[in-house]
Amino acid sequence: MARIAGVNVPTNKRVHIALTYVHGIGLTGAKKICKQVGITEDRRINNLSEDELTKVREMIDTDFLVEGDLRRKTSMDIKRYLDLGCLRGLRHRKNLPVRGQRTHTNARTRKGPAKSIAGKKK
Amino acid sequence: MSRSIWKGPFVDGYLLKKADVARESGRNDVIKTWSRRSTVMPQFVGLTFGVHNGKKFIPVTISEAMVGHKLGEFSPTRTFYGHTADKKSKR
Repeated sequence: MARIAGVNVPTNKRVHIALTYVHGIGLTGAKKICKQVGITEDRRINNLSEDELTKVREMIDTDFLVEGDLRRKTSMDIKRYLDLGCLRGLRHRKNLPVRGQRTHTNARTRKGPAKSIAGKKK
Repeated sequence: MSRSIWKGPFVDGYLLKKADVARESGRNDVIKTWSRRSTVMPQFVGLTFGVHNGKKFIPVTISEAMVGHKLGEFSPTRTFYGHTADKKSKR
């Protein structure tokens, strides 16, 4: 068991995959960390030395915005749009896609499950 | 893709002039504009623009947080009144 950046406990996976379990680190970021610390791709978390682990942790601390801090930043950014009264804020407020996608069909991720309309057929 | 930095922010030139005049006069007149594409500049803060939405000029008072956005973002072009609850009567 390894704790990296708070509560995360990825084990027995290859390092660059395990790191992506942290919110805020994707595959690109994970590979960057591995490269910088000098961990080859076939190493797994459970055969990292304590030294390497601390190096990884340090790098995440300095270079990455992760977990709670990242979530807080995201919600703060959204809140900024809401208060601004710009189009982007309005879209967030209505739970519709923000970046100009179509809403005639699709957009179910934002709109949630389809609601059937009674008596829609002519 | 975002705009190249070397180009600087885009603003219609006449808006800058009008903003200068408005700030010197001190009166807070609404500056009517069709230029929804213009970026909000720091010197616009405190002024009021009437941003055209295709039909009317929507008054927008520029606050500091709006700097960097486009004028058009504050003047929605579509009105949505919601769907009618009862469509049965149409049958």
